[in-house]
Amino acid sequence: MEIAAIHTYGLTRRFGALTAVEDVTLSVAPGQFFGFLGPNGAGKSTTIKMLTGLLEPSAGRVEVLGQPFSAGALDLKRQIGVVPEGMALMGRLTATEYLNFVGRMYGLDRKTTTLRTQELLDFMQLSNENKKLVTDFSHGMQKKLALAAAVIHGPKVLFLDEPFEGVDAIAAGMLKTMLTGMINRGATIFLTTHVLEIVERLCSHVAIISQGRLVANGSIEELRAGVASTLPGAAQEQRLTLEEIFLSIVGAGAGGGQEPAQELSWLA
Amino acid sequence: MAGLGAAGMGEPAPVHAINAGGVLGPLARAQYGALARLRWQMFTNGLRSNKGALELGARTFSFIVYTVMGLAVGAGAAVATYFLVSGNQWRFLPVEFWVLGFIWQMIPIMLASFQEQFDLGILLRFPVRFGSYVLLYMVFGLVDVSTILGGLFCAGIWFGVAAARPGLLLWISSTLVVFAVFNILLVRAVFAWIERWLAQRRTREILGAVFMVGLLSLQLMNPGIYQKRHSGRNGHQDQAEQLRAAKARYAPLLKNANAVQKWLPPGLAAQSLQQAVAQQPQAGLGSLGLLGLYVLLVGGILAIRLKAEFRGENLGVAPSRVVAVPGRNKAASNVGIHGIAALGSGGGQTIHGSGPVAAIMEKDVRSLLRTLPLLYAIGAPLILVLVFSTIFLKNGAVQSPVFPLALPICMVYAQLGFTQIFYNSLGTEGAGIQLYFLSPTPFRTVMLAKNILHSLLFAIVATVAGVLTSLRLGIPDVAVVAATAAWLLFALPCNLAAGNIFSIRMPYRVNPGRISRQRGSQANALLSLLVQLGFLAVGAAVFTLCWYLDRMWIAVPVFLVLAIVAVFVWRQVLGNADALANERRDVLIATLMKAT
Repeated sequence: MEIAAIHTYGLTRRFGALTAVEDVTLSVAPGQFFGFLGPNGAGKSTTIKMLTGLLEPSAGRVEVLGQPFSAGALDLKRQIGVVPEGMALMGRLTATEYLNFVGRMYGLDRKTTTLRTQELLDFMQLSNENKKLVTDFSHGMQKKLALAAAVIHGPKVLFLDEPFEGVDAIAAGMLKTMLTGMINRGATIFLTTHVLEIVERLCSHVAIISQGRLVANGSIEELRAGVASTLPGAAQEQRLTLEEIFLSIVGAGAGGGQEPAQELSWLA
Repeated sequence: MAGLGAAGMGEPAPVHAINAGGVLGPLARAQYGALARLRWQMFTNGLRSNKGALELGARTFSFIVYTVMGLAVGAGAAVATYFLVSGNQWRFLPVEFWVLGFIWQMIPIMLASFQEQFDLGILLRFPVRFGSYVLLYMVFGLVDVSTILGGLFCAGIWFGVAAARPGLLLWISSTLVVFAVFNILLVRAVFAWIERWLAQRRTREILGAVFMVGLLSLQLMNPGIYQKRHSGRNGHQDQAEQLRAAKARYAPLLKNANAVQKWLPPGLAAQSLQQAVAQQPQAGLGSLGLLGLYVLLVGGILAIRLKAEFRGENLGVAPSRVVAVPGRNKAASNVGIHGIAALGSGGGQTIHGSGPVAAIMEKDVRSLLRTLPLLYAIGAPLILVLVFSTIFLKNGAVQSPVFPLALPICMVYAQLGFTQIFYNSLGTEGAGIQLYFLSPTPFRTVMLAKNILHSLLFAIVATVAGVLTSLRLGIPDVAVVAATAAWLLFALPCNLAAGNIFSIRMPYRVNPGRISRQRGSQANALLSLLVQLGFLAVGAAVFTLCWYLDRMWIAVPVFLVLAIVAVFVWRQVLGNADALANERRDVLIATLMKAT
């Protein structure tokens, strides 16, 4: 039996009376490009924080590459890369200084770190910005740098929280190429994003979380078939987009069943 | 959205007209009310947590302390003014105004970390008039330490003049109001412009270098000047003769300085009163008018900055001077695509052991050189030592024999200057704090690297401070030097251990681009001071006892034994750093990532 790259069992996180994530059990196979979707406030970032050691679960457990994962699992941390919600950047460094620092924090030697730093900066088209401090970067440039930092140590599992937010179309294309290349070489990617078109193009498997609970999990084809089966007659034959699948699963609940146009009728 | 358009066109919106009534119009008043309510809600929401309640307690305590200090300063000013005015000693009155101005301008620098900050940038998305923006900029943070102390100093001068010459009440009231407005505007203008310059890396580094060079020059020049001034004296020269000699030496200098100072704001304020007493109301009004011109000038300089901010200038993205190299990206990108082929396949040579420690120290040194508040924190102890050592001079000359506790007391001042660095060592990490939890580097390694760097920095500052103290006050006895060194070996690990706990449990974000009005933590500042006072009390008790017994060398083994215990405690704390940080990681991350 193949060991899952990521496996969660009953993952739960409570903040006082609020349960942000409840009983999430999912499995991501090695080499899978996994999309983790959900409306705003559904618990995506909380889940990814628990998966990467930034937040202690209230209940449940996480396994990465077949081993229990916790904040103290240092050897496992060497195998994973993360672009967290806040990007984990250090504003008072230049991009080169930052990547050199990150590389050494992951245990790379100076020579390898320097080499990879330059390659990543060139790839991300940030080489010309080397005099600027990170704090002076645009949001898109910061995202690219955060992604470069997440991969500098060659992780086997990559967690990406909204990596394409604020990134221009050209850079997004390059990033997609890079991520696809990593998948082809056997890495596993766990991605959260609101851009469903990207998930549809890149991901083979998708899980959807709503109000802290996992409401769908499977390959896109499986989800498509599942939603189509609930549609009446001829509608079952049409090929649903991921957006339609997503709205069908969580849309009605999130909207409260009311027409927005009637609610905001005072808008021009 | 068809329904939206149709329904939205018909009825007039129940809102205030944007241009109606200026900065005191209905819209502006509604906006002030909304902001006041927002501040109140932020305040009450902050009280929901224990940290918030602690913070309120600390702020209240600080407010009381500063008010008591201000009342003392005000009472002193009132008495001094009364005697100067009733004794017709008008030529000394400018000194009071210069002292008042100095306090008003220096306090914000000295307490840069403890001032409340409210980002008015949030207003820019709303239909706020520039006048309202300026008004709010002036009102928010008005009740800060400098205004409390300055205001009570002014009140002291007012009472002194009112008691000595009631007829001058109107003059002194007008003069003090204009002078106070000048000081408030000057503080804001200076910091607004410095922050603008700090927004660019080049100017930030130049300013940082100038600051450090200036600081060191001041320190190195001072003993030289002092020794030259006192060369050839036997230290027992007649006091009156010394005074006469000083008067003769400095009289021309003072005359020239007086000719210049009377055209500057403190001089104009004093001169205005003096002219009113001399039955020269027109000249007095002229001086007051000139002071008013200074207010307009400083206000104008501040307005230029505020106008730029109001137009949406973001200091975080100040224009860069970097010139792009044409064609570089394309070529680079091709190389890069080839180069990153190894990603995803793992691998890469790895090293273990000291790598992360060196990396963190290297990173912190770089950050430090670009972070003015921290540079200031390191440099400030030297200023404190310089000021403090003056206390031990007798009539400007070195005491003989040298006061035995002078060196340890100067070291205490040097150490107090490091409070922010020791007790909030993660404050400048910002969002980067996440990396420490994501990387395979244990948190104890992070704290160890910071402790090593901070110890090295402190060792440098303590050495410089020790040398300066010796140059200024004379070389102390060997036993005193040894006891002081032993005390530092005890105090340093104590501070590092307590500092590590505070840094993880009670951190606050330091905005590296600001040297004033940081969103600091009064609770951290107050409690860290109390903890340090505990360590100092132990040191003071041992030193005083040994001094009393005239056996200073006894302090050496006592402090060394205490140092061994302190190192053990520090190691224990360091060993628990991972557990402590993991337990607090969500609060730690949220606090340090909080926008300032």
